[in-house]
Amino acid sequence: MQVYLPIAGISVDAMLLVGIGFLVGWLSGLFGVGGGFLLTPALILIGIPAPVAVASGANQTLGASVSGLMAQWRRGNVDPKMGGVLTAGGFVGSLAGVQLFALLQRVGQIDLAVSVFYVVVLGTVGGLMVMESVRAILRRRGAVRRRLHEHFWMHGLPLKMRFRKSRLYISVIPPLLAGFFIGVLSAIMGVGGGFMLVPVMIYLLGMPTAVVIGTSLFQVVFVTANVTLLQAVQVGSVDVVLTLLLLLGGVIGAQFGAKMGTKLRGEETRALLGALVLAVALSLLWGLVRRPDAFFVIGPAL
Amino acid sequence: MRGGLGRAVTHLRLVVLLLALFLAAPARAQDQPLVAALSTQEVRISTGFVGEAIMVFGSTDQPIGPGGDEILVVARGPTRPLVVRRKVKALLFWINGPSARFDDVPGFYAIAGTRPAWQLLPEALRQENGLGLDALPLTSTGSRSPAFRAALLDLKKSSGLWLEGVAPVEIRGGRLFHIAVPLPATVPTGDYKVEVLLVRSRRIAAREEMSFRVERVGTADRIADVAENHAFFYGLACIMLAALAGWLGSVLFRRD
Repeated sequence: MQVYLPIAGISVDAMLLVGIGFLVGWLSGLFGVGGGFLLTPALILIGIPAPVAVASGANQTLGASVSGLMAQWRRGNVDPKMGGVLTAGGFVGSLAGVQLFALLQRVGQIDLAVSVFYVVVLGTVGGLMVMESVRAILRRRGAVRRRLHEHFWMHGLPLKMRFRKSRLYISVIPPLLAGFFIGVLSAIMGVGGGFMLVPVMIYLLGMPTAVVIGTSLFQVVFVTANVTLLQAVQVGSVDVVLTLLLLLGGVIGAQFGAKMGTKLRGEETRALLGALVLAVALSLLWGLVRRPDAFFVIGPAL
Repeated sequence: MRGGLGRAVTHLRLVVLLLALFLAAPARAQDQPLVAALSTQEVRISTGFVGEAIMVFGSTDQPIGPGGDEILVVARGPTRPLVVRRKVKALLFWINGPSARFDDVPGFYAIAGTRPAWQLLPEALRQENGLGLDALPLTSTGSRSPAFRAALLDLKKSSGLWLEGVAPVEIRGGRLFHIAVPLPATVPTGDYKVEVLLVRSRRIAAREEMSFRVERVGTADRIADVAENHAFFYGLACIMLAALAGWLGSVLFRRD
């Protein structure tokens, strides 16, 4: 069944979109991540223009994360103060990111920029994840417990604030910066950024794992909402029909994925997720390096 | 199913119109050498739009065919500026390099004739009237290389938005002609002009100009309209809808 996407201005098979949504939702439920980093490249692959893929991807991630945030909130696993600080940084970051996005679009390098961001970010994160989990699997027997709270340079920074729920008394500068950085990535890549925020919260900020998922969802929901709004106003590339079709498949897939995810062990899951992230990065890298099929491209004159 | 039915209805309408034209032709032929019409004045893009064919048909007062009259049909869509970029290799990566900007590029262009235009008209006349893809008045700023113009033609042709001589104009009974101009799903919205030219001994003996509109209707139109004119509220609505859909989905499909 073909459906006309009013903002993208093209006609796409609706079942294909629901299917992509399902697959990405299934994987994100399995690994407990938003899945935006899989969705945007998949959309670009089937011929959705990069700006529409990024903006609608952010919009879809918002929808996919809302129910998770509500569940975590009910269980009291959200630190609203930390979430607020991260979101404040994220707002400024996504504002800057959308400006950069619009600028890159004007000079005709947006497709390249989106790919390069993906290759660099996913390559780094995927590589680290695989290494970390392989090491964890190898030393599983003689496990040394890592101290949760270590003191290093970060704790010498000014503007300290008490985060009661996270049991932390730290400077607001690191979470603000982390939020800012994730906000920029969210605007340019159309992702929520949970897969980067979670390690930052655990290893850099030293937050207790119980509140990490809920608080990162808090930041993801508000920042993707901000990206959606800014992209709609400034670039005009949010396609709500596309978003809703992806969500339709996504919410169903996520439930199946989450059920299956409980059967997998932590390290194996992370190694698999890392491999998946690396595979996406490598396929995008290949797209940049190989000889293009068409040496010329057309774009609207902005 | 619906596409087939729609096509059947279009064909039926065409037959009826052709018949009416045929009956009216002898009476009108005395004062007009060329009569032409379109199957529709309006192409509607709804959420299920997959493209549509528009019929151009008419009749002449003298026999059409080799040695006699010839027909040329040209359809032009709304113009807008475009940028063509060439990919260049920088170190390891292929990036967008030099570019050429073309003003007034027709979003749709189709030409068909009983024979190709270059066989029917002197070159100067053909260029002057913009009959044929190589006669389109495309001026560029930026890179001067003719490769950019050639690339623009190639890309537009492969997307089905620029058509030249895909199918000939068909003739029935010596005086009736018709052609289906296919509009792909990516067809831009706006006002289209269709010109039918009657070529007699290598001159344009008569021309008939018609127009039709391509517009979005229904939900697709409302969404595009709100997104364009009330971007802020559209953004808010997208946020609300996505959140609502996400929440509703997790309630309906919960599996624990």
